[in-house]
Amino acid sequence: MSEKREVILEAKHVTRRFAASHGRTLLANNDINLKMYKGETLGLVGESGCGKSTFMRFLVSLDTPSEGEILYRGTDITKLKGEELRNNRQNIQMVFQDPTLSFNPKMNIRDIVCEPLMNFKKIKKSEKDAVCRKLLEMVELPGDFADRYPHNMSGGQRQRVAIARALALEPEIVVLDEATSALDVSVQKTVIELITKLQREKNITFGFICHDIALVQLVAHQVAVMYLGNLVEVLPGKDLDMKAMHPYTRALMGAVFDINMDFSKPIESIESEAPSPLDLPQGCPFQGRCEHCMDICKKENPHLIEVEDGHSVACHLFKKGGR
Amino acid sequence: MLKLDNVTISYKNVPTVQNFNLDMKEGQIVSLVGESGSGKTTVIRAVLGLLAGGGKVTEGSITFEGEDLLSYTPEQWRKLRGSDISMIFQDSGAMMNPTRKVGKVFTEYILTHEKISKKEAWSKGIAMLERMRLPSPDNIMESYPFQLSGGMRQRVGIAMGMTYQPKLLLADEPTSALDVTTQAQIVRQMMKLRDDYHTGIIVVTHNLGVAAYMSDYIVVMKNGKMEDQGTREYILKESKNEYTRKLLEAVPSRGGERYV
Repeated sequence: MSEKREVILEAKHVTRRFAASHGRTLLANNDINLKMYKGETLGLVGESGCGKSTFMRFLVSLDTPSEGEILYRGTDITKLKGEELRNNRQNIQMVFQDPTLSFNPKMNIRDIVCEPLMNFKKIKKSEKDAVCRKLLEMVELPGDFADRYPHNMSGGQRQRVAIARALALEPEIVVLDEATSALDVSVQKTVIELITKLQREKNITFGFICHDIALVQLVAHQVAVMYLGNLVEVLPGKDLDMKAMHPYTRALMGAVFDINMDFSKPIESIESEAPSPLDLPQGCPFQGRCEHCMDICKKENPHLIEVEDGHSVACHLFKKGGR
Repeated sequence: MLKLDNVTISYKNVPTVQNFNLDMKEGQIVSLVGESGSGKTTVIRAVLGLLAGGGKVTEGSITFEGEDLLSYTPEQWRKLRGSDISMIFQDSGAMMNPTRKVGKVFTEYILTHEKISKKEAWSKGIAMLERMRLPSPDNIMESYPFQLSGGMRQRVGIAMGMTYQPKLLLADEPTSALDVTTQAQIVRQMMKLRDDYHTGIIVVTHNLGVAAYMSDYIVVMKNGKMEDQGTREYILKESKNEYTRKLLEAVPSRGGERYV
């Protein structure tokens, strides 16, 4: 990794507990430490309920962690209030999975795309037309779409509008929460191409939540794998295929159906199901499904250990400086 | 076993699927792939006489085991469903009554197909759950659908569908709502059905990786028409069809070309 990488956001010891029925607590994020670098994509993968979205919601201040801090350019954004909090939203924006649900169906595209700019009084009413056209062209949509309503556009087009809205304020960080998961593969490809192109042009930092590990591998500079609220492995996206070490990461990669795979080989996958996050065992959360489970795994939850530059893994199998 | 000959299906006189042909042999696994709205689900719904909202087969014929399905009376359809042809859906939990326990739904299903006592039906249900390798079947029978995980619900759906060892199983996006590790488990289980019971399966999926792994034969659909078809090897390696190639290239692949 080059030394030029600039950390713009850092999560330190972020923990989130939710109160559950019968006085129990659900640990959605357990001591998460992550860094986001300027102009790079952080991919967050894991199965449903592992805490991916919980974490990303902290970044856009839709929720606050129970413990820990999130530093954006040195300021802890979890403590912001009032006008400061409102102003910080210009820096970090979000795109959701389902654009039909995140748009007001009675607003036309011009109003949708320009709403953030109007809220922060960045443009005058008379400028809306020109600004909207420019934003739509940025996401490769015809400028005439400004007069349309969300319902007479296709899913891919709507997602492009959502991206235009998120980028209207020129934020430094954009969180994409399963932003391409509801799209057909061919449409997904064009949206991904757009996102990566915009990233190169504007040097945007993306937080990319996705359950499709094959896709994350192709778009993320840095990949963080989560399992039941714990960060189990962080590594460069280009190394995911060959260098992944944690048994869970390898299981995820093994369960991917690939059109270039050897069909005569049985698909690998862990047989059992993930335990309920309300009923976590002591020690490593993955112990019940891991074929390398040792005595120590049942007693202690392993910490993330850096095994290589930019590659950390939380597993008792691995010690500092290699296997 | 199943033959669709030049089938056209229309909703309100607007043809949705046009000139669909398929000749399926026993124990074969066929995938229908394509983008949303290409008519994949409409085809398998027609095979089971379950077209929604006034859909009708306006042309062609559907023959199953030598019998013309389109001339069936509602009573004959009902006998066929769940015994010789079964269907599993994207979320098997959604097809069950949410206010009734799995056991109740399962026994009711069995009792509509044979005249046995409730007790016998119950143990038959348990035996099926066991065969699908579901842990503690007694517990599952006593649970409500929402108390089970997505993967377990899907296995219950498969267990119900396989009770009468159908010759044909129709699966509509059976793994699309599941996590990857669970998806792999369900795919393996469905392929085992073919080995154990010699069941033919039609899978509707938008996941080309799953289609490629499971099927002997793949049909690519686009805008209600058959765009391309052939054996798995043909579709993946040889087909020159532009649309097929475009779809295949769009699938994110392990170790594929990175965007960044």
